[in-house]
Amino acid sequence: MMTDVEKKKFTYYPGCSSQGSARHLDESLRAIAPELGLELEELDDWNCCGASVGHVAGGSLPNLSLTGRNLANAAKQGKQDVLTGCAACYLNTHAGNEKIKKDVALRGRVNEALAAADTSYDDDLQVRHACEVIVNEVGLDKIRERVTNPLTGLKVASYVGCQTVRPFANTDGGGSYDTYDDPEFLDNFTQACGAEAVDFEVKTACCGGSVSVMNPEKTLHLIKRILDAAKASDADVIATPCPLCQTNVEMYQDAINKEFGTDFNIPVVFYSQLMAVAFGLDKEKAAALQRNTIRSEKLENMAKA
Amino acid sequence: MTQAVPEQSKKKYDLGFARWVYDNIDGGDKLSMCMQCGACSGSCPIGVQMDHGPRKLFMMIRAGMKEAVLSSNTLWNCTKCYRCVVRCPRGVPVTYILGSLGTKAVELGYADKEDTRSFARSFWWSAATFGRTDERLVTARYYFSFGLVEGIKKGLANLKIALGMVKTGRMHIGAPHKIKDTRGLQAILAKAQEIESRAGKG
Repeated sequence: MMTDVEKKKFTYYPGCSSQGSARHLDESLRAIAPELGLELEELDDWNCCGASVGHVAGGSLPNLSLTGRNLANAAKQGKQDVLTGCAACYLNTHAGNEKIKKDVALRGRVNEALAAADTSYDDDLQVRHACEVIVNEVGLDKIRERVTNPLTGLKVASYVGCQTVRPFANTDGGGSYDTYDDPEFLDNFTQACGAEAVDFEVKTACCGGSVSVMNPEKTLHLIKRILDAAKASDADVIATPCPLCQTNVEMYQDAINKEFGTDFNIPVVFYSQLMAVAFGLDKEKAAALQRNTIRSEKLENMAKA
Repeated sequence: MTQAVPEQSKKKYDLGFARWVYDNIDGGDKLSMCMQCGACSGSCPIGVQMDHGPRKLFMMIRAGMKEAVLSSNTLWNCTKCYRCVVRCPRGVPVTYILGSLGTKAVELGYADKEDTRSFARSFWWSAATFGRTDERLVTARYYFSFGLVEGIKKGLANLKIALGMVKTGRMHIGAPHKIKDTRGLQAILAKAQEIESRAGKG
């Protein structure tokens, strides 16, 4: 039931996890975007953002040049804002963009590197997180309008994580987005979908990020804290915007159960999967619920298509 | 070229190393703003795993403790949650400073045995070769950087996770995803490396 709303166009940067561990974020985001009046045109030949460790082995300027190349490609596609759903892609690309824009000498060095492939970045693009765009460009009313299948009775622990709001909850380009410690946007999304946002005080606690991938023994206790809080609030699912949070909190539940003698089996989904179900879209093609290793029967039974 | 890091001083209080940090570390110029309040260490989710919290590490920089700073595991256990950055009342970009100190520690040979260095190498290999992170290959290369036996052990320990990822289509079988212009990207990265070795901090 698409109406002829005018769509705002963005250059969409999916990021590497969109082809791997976070395919369900990419698939559901692409599915809900047109419903919310957002047109996503994929960034041509996008490359890795450098994530959390690129600078360690690559060095600072080569790492920044990854962002430089993406921005150069984006500028060729037009002046529209760049949008990404990935927390790390947002952090690196946004931070890199701001650095390049503010520091003429640094821009010179990045462009000297880019010249090796006959390209350059001389524009003034804005890099934005999908959630910030939904907060500031779409608005909760539009989400509510689009909900045809309210998720009544689903209890959701809204887990924001770190890099979606830190350090860029409040940016020159994106306007005031939310707060660093107690953001409300995810609870608002959840409620707009007709679900119940349970009290969840660890909403911006850290899942261990890439340290959890390298050395989970150092960080299992951090993930356990998140699961403990979700269980205490009787949540049916944990919802998050962050690819690494989703994977870490989902895939280490067995290891945590083994280590701490717990019995966690809590589904961890993306907010965009919740929206896809609430918008009455296909539970596999749009909501990608089959991609969760811990499935939520309750959510799947709510899906209309 | 990055300025050479000064030798560890015999004096009790020597600003030589701190001055090097101010000039050569990304965000280091803000370090002089640190008033040792401890908001960073108090906010850190993983402080218990660090030999020195960021507050103490910053004082150690001022005290000229080059060896202890560059070999501190604080640089590697930081999860990059940026809580300290947004809470620092003096605007010190703590996470960025730790990250940049880590990069220099690797360059200067202080981190040869660090897991993060092995992981970062695997990660960069994928980014530079394919233009994208291949989560499968980065993880596998990282596991086997500990040797064949340890690599197999780590692989087996995570087998159930891997199978779950394959079953849900989140780990694909087959060739890595690649960008079209890998040659262009590699030329850019090589040039950036050359500029960096000439110009110092990026």
